[in-house]
Amino acid sequence: MNIDLAALNAGTLWPEYIVTITLIVVLLVDLISGRKASWSLPYLALLGLGIATATLLPMWILENPVSFLGSFTADPLSVVFRAFILISAALTVLMSVRYINQSSLATAEFYVLLLGATLGAMLLSGSSEMAMIFVALELLSITSYLLSGYAKLDKRSNEASLKYLLIGAASSGIFLYGMSLLYGFSGGQTQLTEIAPRIVNLGFPALLSLVLVAAGICFKLSAVPFHQWTPDVYEGSPTPVVAFLSVGSKAAGFALAIRFMTSAYPGFSEQWQTLFVLLAILSMVLGNVVAIAQTSMKRMLAYSSIAQAGYVMIGLAIGTQEGYSSMILYIGTYLFMNLGAFMAVVLFSLRTGTDEITAYSGLYQKDPFLTLVLSLCLLSLAGIPPLAGFFGKLYLFWAAVQSQAYTLVFFGLVTSVASIYYYVRVVKLMLVKEPSPQVLAYSEAGDQDGIQTLKAGMLITTVATVVLGILFPPLISLADTSLRATPSLQQVRTATPVSRVSTGAQAPADHGR
Amino acid sequence: MLSVLIWLPVVGALLVGLWPGASAARLRSIALAFATAGVLWSAGLLWQFDPARPGLQFVEFIPWIAPVGLHYSLGADGLSLPLIALNSLLIWIAIYSNAYSGERPRLYYGLLLLAGGGMAGAFAAQNLLLFFLFYELELLPFYLLIFLWGCSEKRGYAAMKFLIYTAVSGFLILGAFLGLVLLDGSSSFAYGEQSTAALPLITQLILLTMLLVGFGIKIPLVPLHTWLPDAYCEASPPVAILLGGVLAKLGAYGLLRFGLGLFPETWALVAPGLATIGAITAVYGAFSAIAQRDIKRMVAYSSIGHMGYILLAAAAATPLSLLGAMLQMVSHGLILAILFHLVGVVEAKVGTRDLDVLNGLMNPIRGLPMVSALLVLGGMASAGIPGLVGFVAEFLVLQGSFAAFPVQTILCVVCSGLTAVYFVILLNRTCFGRLDNATAYYPPVRWIERTPALILAGIILVLGVQPEWLSRWSEVTAESMVTPVQSAANQPKMPAAAASLSPN
Repeated sequence: MNIDLAALNAGTLWPEYIVTITLIVVLLVDLISGRKASWSLPYLALLGLGIATATLLPMWILENPVSFLGSFTADPLSVVFRAFILISAALTVLMSVRYINQSSLATAEFYVLLLGATLGAMLLSGSSEMAMIFVALELLSITSYLLSGYAKLDKRSNEASLKYLLIGAASSGIFLYGMSLLYGFSGGQTQLTEIAPRIVNLGFPALLSLVLVAAGICFKLSAVPFHQWTPDVYEGSPTPVVAFLSVGSKAAGFALAIRFMTSAYPGFSEQWQTLFVLLAILSMVLGNVVAIAQTSMKRMLAYSSIAQAGYVMIGLAIGTQEGYSSMILYIGTYLFMNLGAFMAVVLFSLRTGTDEITAYSGLYQKDPFLTLVLSLCLLSLAGIPPLAGFFGKLYLFWAAVQSQAYTLVFFGLVTSVASIYYYVRVVKLMLVKEPSPQVLAYSEAGDQDGIQTLKAGMLITTVATVVLGILFPPLISLADTSLRATPSLQQVRTATPVSRVSTGAQAPADHGR
Repeated sequence: MLSVLIWLPVVGALLVGLWPGASAARLRSIALAFATAGVLWSAGLLWQFDPARPGLQFVEFIPWIAPVGLHYSLGADGLSLPLIALNSLLIWIAIYSNAYSGERPRLYYGLLLLAGGGMAGAFAAQNLLLFFLFYELELLPFYLLIFLWGCSEKRGYAAMKFLIYTAVSGFLILGAFLGLVLLDGSSSFAYGEQSTAALPLITQLILLTMLLVGFGIKIPLVPLHTWLPDAYCEASPPVAILLGGVLAKLGAYGLLRFGLGLFPETWALVAPGLATIGAITAVYGAFSAIAQRDIKRMVAYSSIGHMGYILLAAAAATPLSLLGAMLQMVSHGLILAILFHLVGVVEAKVGTRDLDVLNGLMNPIRGLPMVSALLVLGGMASAGIPGLVGFVAEFLVLQGSFAAFPVQTILCVVCSGLTAVYFVILLNRTCFGRLDNATAYYPPVRWIERTPALILAGIILVLGVQPEWLSRWSEVTAESMVTPVQSAANQPKMPAAAASLSPN
């Protein structure tokens, strides 16, 4: 077989190459210099992730995004999601330095696995061919299983890993079965865009494959009813891993969902949109209602992340230009607020060794900085103005109202009220006067190296959570550009002409009738 | 111009929160400096305001999030400016009068200032989404203020109840705003560009009901009021002053501005129902207040009753009644503030709020004579005794509404009488009678505790004798707000609306 090297267009994968190189370098440095150099590994990983992000920037809008004979599409949509994944991986590294040291786990392998997961997630957000999708998905999944079972002396981590592995493997199987059906129905095509025209008239069989594929994807999104693994895995896994799973892995899942649904099933948009409406409502309701009853912080954040995925799915379910754009923006804001919350949880559990919500009581006196960071991030998750989460939610709801998805907006608003309750409960506990025993024993004396990076990460996420609201307009135009320049989304309808909401208030009021 | 009133307190809050190593007294003086600057600035705005001009003044516009239609757009008219000024004044009083509960001052003053900035923003916002943003911004500071500095063990319950009621109210309002802008074909969230004229009646009714329930929770109207007695009683006096004095006005303001302003035609249709609810609220508030044994709860229920008048006046929507409603908002804010402040002083000195225990505070030497005297003044102002500001407002409301809704108006007149009844009970049990010799060793009242009440009493007295100084800001606005309703009522296609404006 004769492959034209130019047609490979291999340059679009530079960020991935760099992540791979970093991964190998981390492994080699650890092999060669052993314990002595283990302090430098996280910084190496950070450096690699930074360079990868830098190489991602020039790829913002490419002339020819298709590479590797159609397996990978480096369109702006994938660039946005790859950037999200890189950022969340970098922030995860920041928060794991101290955590790994303190729990005396092997250092190098952790970063190698984390970089592997990052790589899988990045490839997944650009894959446009079924074999490639599956390979990337499995790369992400297998590294995630390993990471969640990383604290091997902890029973709960083992249980989490096993649970995650079993459910994940089953859902991969279902996903694979769906794709094999697609392959068969389309007469042997693996390109998503090639499949679309061939299955348009297929009816029920195509829908069968749609359901199977959606089930596989929804496992990654932890959409209800494919969410059962989330609370247990979040509770058992090492906290930095959970942070990456809740943001990076989810972003990859959403990228996959957008690409798969719009490329392979454009003819069935009504059906899959109805499906996602249902899943979004279930996720919002269950996630928020069950989160109210939680006593462990990580479990509460697990249910909250289920609910947050439900909000993001609103954008997917309405399937308009505004919907996708609001989805991207919400994931972007969610990234910072969720990672910020997890960083605060990591810091607290490093110093007190517990995740119980009641243990946070009275923290205000001992550590105002931690209280501030956690409060702002949780309030942003709840959608309290003027934080980033408020604008993200507002934009999502406005997009939904524009495409007249009133049911979704109704459930979104009602469950938001419920979510305020449990997020504010934590804030309230931190501000009360009576400290918990853990807070009474709270000390910053035992802090050694690694706390500084964690604090830097907390500062970054908090500042982003506060500032993103004011910076929302440029972000919207960024998201819009990425959508407009993405070929597979060209045919997506806009709910209304863009000029619908005028930019000025000075237009004369027409009350005079 | 208006931005200063929003951002000054916010900057103050940041400064209070981050000032390194300051003592409680230093923090208080910083906060007080910012609050004083706010009062002076709003006095300057009142000075510059041209009451003869209808429409908005001090307009500011900065484009912000165009795809959503959220812009930083401010402006004030005769409806909002007096409330903005009231807000500045009450924030100042809340901060000034807080010298005696100095626990965790950093958070306390920060939250108070933040709440003040948010309320100024909500009154000044001329964009529906911006209004919602500021409205939601109130949620958390007040929740924390009630919860962390509340009076008794029940404060957690009261604060959570307040939080959930307010959150529900916020989301109803957001739903109504989103629906309105989408359905009516207007192109933006800028206030005044929506026109509901083309909407089918049933849609208008649904949207208006959402607004009514949303703002009705905040005002509060009778079936939606149950958060209020708990929240007011559990809140410390300065917080109660802000809650009742300003936050309740935010609900009434929203109802007038958005309910009446955006749905003039449907408003005329639902007016009889609203007037009835207003009258029921007034009656309910009065009777419940009579039954209370706790002076703070009494004042809280009196607040419910007085807000009923505003609804009656808004329902009637005549120039006179709307002017009355605006005056009632300001006067109720002042009266409630003085009452809550004095009740707070009484509780701090005597140690109880129980009507069966309090007695003889009027005693010139061992009692609290000046506080008692001011309490008598405040009670009389609340009951609508001529010469005080409450009378002016109530009289305008009643006179303006009588032609439209005579029965409801008469009910409200009866309630004015009932107000006098429960305030006489209150004053009789607290101020008159004899001191109990065993317990009457009260700490002296300091000037810092008297000053706010004296200032408020002065304002109440002056505005009662010279009501022109209060009404001049709002007269033109009241008239301009009525015009769309009247023209709607005169259209033949809505006979019910027309009928509602004639005596029935």
